[in-house]
Amino acid sequence: MRSKCSLALSNGEVFEGELIGAPVRSSGELVFTTAMVGYGEALTDPSYFGQILLFSYPLIGNYGVPPIPSSLELPIPTGIESSKIHASAVLISIDSPSAFHWKSFQSLDSWLKSQNVPGIMGLDTRHLVHMIRSNPCLMGKIEMSGSSATRMLGELDPFACSDDGFFDPAKYNIVSQVSTKERIILGSGRKRIGLIDFGVKWNIIRQLVGHECEVEIFPWDTPISEMDCSGWLLSNGPGDPNQTGDSVARIRALLERSQPVLGICLGHQILSLAAGMKTRRMPFGHRSHNQPVYEVGTRKGSITSQNHGYVVEDDVLPDGWEIWFRNANDQTVEGIRHKNKPFRGVQFHPESAGGPRDTGEILDQFVSEVLNS
Amino acid sequence: MSAFKIKSMKEKPKIVVLGSGGLSIGQAGEFDYSGTQAVKALAEEGCDVIVINPNIATVQTNPSKNVKIYLYPVTAKWVEVVFAKEKPDAIVASFGGQTALNCLIELDDLGILDKYNVKNLGTSIETLKMTEDRDLFAKQMKSIGMPIPPSVACSSLSEALVAANDISYPVIVRAAYALGGLGSGFANNDEELKALVEPGLAVSPQVLIEKSLKGWKEVEYEVMRDGEGNCITICNMENFDPLGIHTGDSIVVCPSQSLSDDEYQLLRNAALKMINSMNIIGECNAQFALDPNSLEFYVIEVNARLSRSSALASKASGYPIAYIAAKVVLGHDLLELKNPVTGITCAFYEPALDYVTIKMPRWDLQKFKGVVRDLGSTMKSVGEVMAIGRSFPEALQKAVRMVSEIGEGISSRNAITEDDIRELVSKTTDTRLYAVVEALRDNKMTIDEVHAVTFIDKWFLSQIAIITSIEKEIAEHVKPYPKKDISYEDYFLKTFSSISCDTWRRWKSSGFADLQIVCVALRSMQIFDQSTENERLECSLVLRKLRKELGVYPVVKKIDTTAAEYPSPSNYLYFSYGGLFHDPLPDDKKKSAVVLGGGSYRIGTSVEFDWCAVSCSERLQADHWRSVIVNCNPETVSTDFNCSDRLYFDEISVERVLDIYEFENAQGVIASMGGQLPNKIALPLAKAGVKLLGHSPETIDHAEDRNRFSALLDSIGIDQPKWVSALSKSEIDSFIDKVGFPVLVRPSYVLSGAAMKVAYDRLSLDRFLEAAVDISSEHPVVISEFLTGAREIELDGVARDGKIVTGIVSEHIENAGIHSGDATTVVPAQMLYVETVRQVKKAGRKIAEGLKLNGPFNIQFLAKEGQIKVIECNARAARSFPFISKSVGLNLAEVATDVIIGKAPKLTRYNEDELPHVGVKAAMFSFGRLKGADPVLGVEMASTGEVGCIGRNFEEALLLALEASKVTVPKKGILVSAGAEKEKILFLKSCKILKNLGLKLYATNGTAKFLQQHGFECESLAWPGEAERDVLSVIKSGEVDFVVNIPKNTQLKELTNGAKIRQCAVQFGCAIMTNMEKVTAFVRAIDHCKNFEVNHDPICLPQYHA
Repeated sequence: MRSKCSLALSNGEVFEGELIGAPVRSSGELVFTTAMVGYGEALTDPSYFGQILLFSYPLIGNYGVPPIPSSLELPIPTGIESSKIHASAVLISIDSPSAFHWKSFQSLDSWLKSQNVPGIMGLDTRHLVHMIRSNPCLMGKIEMSGSSATRMLGELDPFACSDDGFFDPAKYNIVSQVSTKERIILGSGRKRIGLIDFGVKWNIIRQLVGHECEVEIFPWDTPISEMDCSGWLLSNGPGDPNQTGDSVARIRALLERSQPVLGICLGHQILSLAAGMKTRRMPFGHRSHNQPVYEVGTRKGSITSQNHGYVVEDDVLPDGWEIWFRNANDQTVEGIRHKNKPFRGVQFHPESAGGPRDTGEILDQFVSEVLNS
Repeated sequence: MSAFKIKSMKEKPKIVVLGSGGLSIGQAGEFDYSGTQAVKALAEEGCDVIVINPNIATVQTNPSKNVKIYLYPVTAKWVEVVFAKEKPDAIVASFGGQTALNCLIELDDLGILDKYNVKNLGTSIETLKMTEDRDLFAKQMKSIGMPIPPSVACSSLSEALVAANDISYPVIVRAAYALGGLGSGFANNDEELKALVEPGLAVSPQVLIEKSLKGWKEVEYEVMRDGEGNCITICNMENFDPLGIHTGDSIVVCPSQSLSDDEYQLLRNAALKMINSMNIIGECNAQFALDPNSLEFYVIEVNARLSRSSALASKASGYPIAYIAAKVVLGHDLLELKNPVTGITCAFYEPALDYVTIKMPRWDLQKFKGVVRDLGSTMKSVGEVMAIGRSFPEALQKAVRMVSEIGEGISSRNAITEDDIRELVSKTTDTRLYAVVEALRDNKMTIDEVHAVTFIDKWFLSQIAIITSIEKEIAEHVKPYPKKDISYEDYFLKTFSSISCDTWRRWKSSGFADLQIVCVALRSMQIFDQSTENERLECSLVLRKLRKELGVYPVVKKIDTTAAEYPSPSNYLYFSYGGLFHDPLPDDKKKSAVVLGGGSYRIGTSVEFDWCAVSCSERLQADHWRSVIVNCNPETVSTDFNCSDRLYFDEISVERVLDIYEFENAQGVIASMGGQLPNKIALPLAKAGVKLLGHSPETIDHAEDRNRFSALLDSIGIDQPKWVSALSKSEIDSFIDKVGFPVLVRPSYVLSGAAMKVAYDRLSLDRFLEAAVDISSEHPVVISEFLTGAREIELDGVARDGKIVTGIVSEHIENAGIHSGDATTVVPAQMLYVETVRQVKKAGRKIAEGLKLNGPFNIQFLAKEGQIKVIECNARAARSFPFISKSVGLNLAEVATDVIIGKAPKLTRYNEDELPHVGVKAAMFSFGRLKGADPVLGVEMASTGEVGCIGRNFEEALLLALEASKVTVPKKGILVSAGAEKEKILFLKSCKILKNLGLKLYATNGTAKFLQQHGFECESLAWPGEAERDVLSVIKSGEVDFVVNIPKNTQLKELTNGAKIRQCAVQFGCAIMTNMEKVTAFVRAIDHCKNFEVNHDPICLPQYHA
């Protein structure tokens, strides 16, 4: 029998389950994803930094975990989106004890242990989704008796951050915890694309490199004057776009170069702020592989992979900008673009991994713009 | 939603919807689901809908305000007749399976669509043809870079041999234009190839020889695409069994379990690319083979129409595929449509599941004597169930219990009796799952070993191992049973009171039913065989009480397509132990009734009972009751999102129905609408404290208990065939000394083979008893007198408080001896004496009074020489209900529902004299798919479906019904093998008519001699194998298109030869009849209605009387 552990929520509710992974306490914002596959990709997605990730699909770990390289080198293996788990903790219904997939190197449980990440299984995950949905911005913490070790969030001790021990990632600049510390150059090609790393998923890099481009990955806070490329990809990342230091101002300065820019997820939000728009926190975000978006002014829809808790507001639209995509379910902004400059931002993940690959053309189009610039 | 106008069409377009005809293997109830949703969606858009479908037992063929029903064969000829009358604007064929699709292509080829200016809606005919022609399809796939398995289309045997040797054996053979994989299979050498290709080419212009991908994973995607090119996958499905077993015969899991995101998206992407390139509009299904050890894959096929898989996907995901597809076909795009299940999300959305579903086929192969039990690329199952759980073991265990309908489920030991487990595991038969379980039980084989011979993914096997380890834990918990000084119930109470809440949760969340735990414990104590069913039920109720005291009960969860991301008013529910909180709350505002559905389709229970359950549910709602449906069959209308106030897609078992009854605070349970299965659990439910609505438990028991029913008949002076329940051979002998042969033998315990048989003499009786029956005090054999030459009559109706409200007499065309499910039935009766009808009705009234019937009923009678005898009385709705209801225009299921909820029905006595037309029901057989099965009819039912047509007279209705069941008027020649002298004499009259029609006559030696003696010219043919031009050769060469083969039932040699002829006829797609009364009626009808389709004014089904 596995040992018991508890999940306490900021609304006062407490749930019990069985411990999987490492016996360490952890804290973060409680979020859920309804994706049925891609747990490896999700857990290593830096955008989940500071968040306790709940999987609504009840069977997790079925195909194990592939071998994971310790650093970013070509070719980048698939199945994971960075070299480590970024989520604070994992909540699931049933863990698959053994995996038999041809690419599997270890089970989910042993991976969590090796990464010092706790998880709880045996939870009524559907009930928890209801709870997250009806309690906006819910925080949670995982505790177990007999263990006082803490899952650190980079350099942050989540339990030391507040009196009640509930860590709210919205209050901190957490991009600094996940962005690369050094510049990295990968791939080769006629043109070089600058990738500003707010917490980039490896599949963005895979896609760019695959298009015969040289990609230079910059730390999130690299001064604009020190960067020289033909086009700019503003990556995804965790947290509130307003908590990214002076990123908005730097991107605004970058736009003056009029070079092609593509913002993805957090990158799209920062781009929007730079353009003069506003963002707001959503009650529980969009995290799934089935978010329907449509191109405004057309009857063309796409199914997208998403992971965001903030959204660009559409009440103030600066001159020259237009809404590019909207969500077909709740009509929220899913993309913006400049009417005559090569600036675009999408809230969803055109690079996918995990999730559908229906909007890959957006990356293709960006790269060809850079190549033709 | 505003009424939608099709571009270039008038305000209220008239649209023909083609149905799929009678249910057969490979094309079953799923098309009632899709057809019904399509009709609803089109009618909702303001279209006038014209349905052409001879399947009278479907919900789709219910007439309503702007829906007209034509019960005609789905063939170009009859569709044109309807076109001529109705002058429709458009046609929709994608909701009626392969039958409708083939018909559409035929209509186009013959220029009929153009002639009547009827527009085909949805996917273009060009694309349809491309998906059907494997060569064209392969070209298309190659052009977009999709990998397809190496394959060659061949139109002759010699071509096939060359191709197979080029690709190298093993190869798979597939016939084009065939549903359910008819004429398909694996071949390891030239001989095996020949055996497949010859019959394949007989039904199809070409066959395909393909590389075999045995052991690869089989994965399907359901795709929806609109006219704007917006494309979504509804879900994917992974077959538990690797490639090689037809997907209809595979255990299918939705969503996929062993695929990584990489693999999932790779195939999803491929599916979208294919569907886009083919410009499919509506719904379709894409099948792939995936290498279990790399990202290599092949495209297997695309079905550019709704299919069995789409019905499954719809129920598994909650997304109303057919409903949305119908709107898309009309011209809506997915972005403008809402998903009606949530009411707020867009139809352009891929469902997120937060549960796992497992589809399991039901085969019923034991019903077919001689059938080959191996599974392969030809589908053999007759039905299926779908189980929903929050863990794989929970769903799997539910599925096994749903399909086997015994409480023990996967723990049952009866299914596997042989010891050689390795051999059984390696064979792909209908019982392989049980063999795999047995192998993993106590580690007789390791997961690796089982995988090595089955190629079943180890993840699935590891999940089964979880079940067997818990089963072991349960078995080890119980101590040996002391002695009979303590009752089983008390013993279970004592033994299981020490089980902790956590342990109970672990057991229950792995899918163990209370009754199953009882069975495992009893087996462990080695007293299972001594225990009675009733004792086991009582023990299970003890366990239920114990665990509920600890707070261990299942929770109700919703299926909402969004995994709870959006609030949903969805009423689609299931129970699970994988959670602690109920999703919905019970609704006490209205009175509610729980309607039990029929479970898996099978021989004997089919779409008819779904029609009854749906009619009942609709009537409840109309009477302001909440209707709560329980069913587990994904091919049904009753499990549609808009068919009830609440749908529990779950087990029809005592345990689960109690859960529902308690949760819903229902007024009661209606067990008389879903056929045999709910009827079987009605009494146990009543014992457990459930209120039955309608017939009382006492009535049900009185009708079901043979001794009690028989005593009742004696007491009210109604005759019955003599019978005895014999416990020994000597009892049988003394009974036969009294009544003589033939007798009907009905064993209560059957080792193998058919359960009932007519014995004509001592020899056949002994042979049957020795081979199949175990006679003992535990298992008596019921032997009854068998009347030859008797008419069979049915009385279907509804009684209230012992008085008949309405009762309708129908008559079989065949003499008694053919199961009523296989017989051809006519209403109103055509050949009965007025006095016989009077006697039948009088007996019906007495029985209704004696049993205190209070609900739907069906009584079967024999009539001979002016005397009637009662065979049986079913105190429930019968298979014949929809046929009778539609033929006479009075919905018996609705009348019955009124009675059940205590409402006086409006008296709607029907009067035979006033019926404007005659209805004939004919059975639909699937012998073509059941290799080795003898297509002879008898007392055991063998048909898989039925059709019903109405005509201005009996002959017209009969011809239509037979044509709809694929028995067409012969044009070439007739082969006769008439059996006994009496049959031969009967045939003479038909012979004369056939001769006049200019048909060539062939006969087997004896029959030929007889016919020639009576002045009929005919070619005499040798028995199979006795000459080069033998009887089989004329069938194979296509010289005959109708075979009359009446078995004589005596000599073994003739039986075998007869079987060979019958099987050959079936294999080569030749119409066959094995009953002379039916032949006579058919031939007379042909004579009576020559060319009646010319200028035929088709009759549309009238609306039900108020």
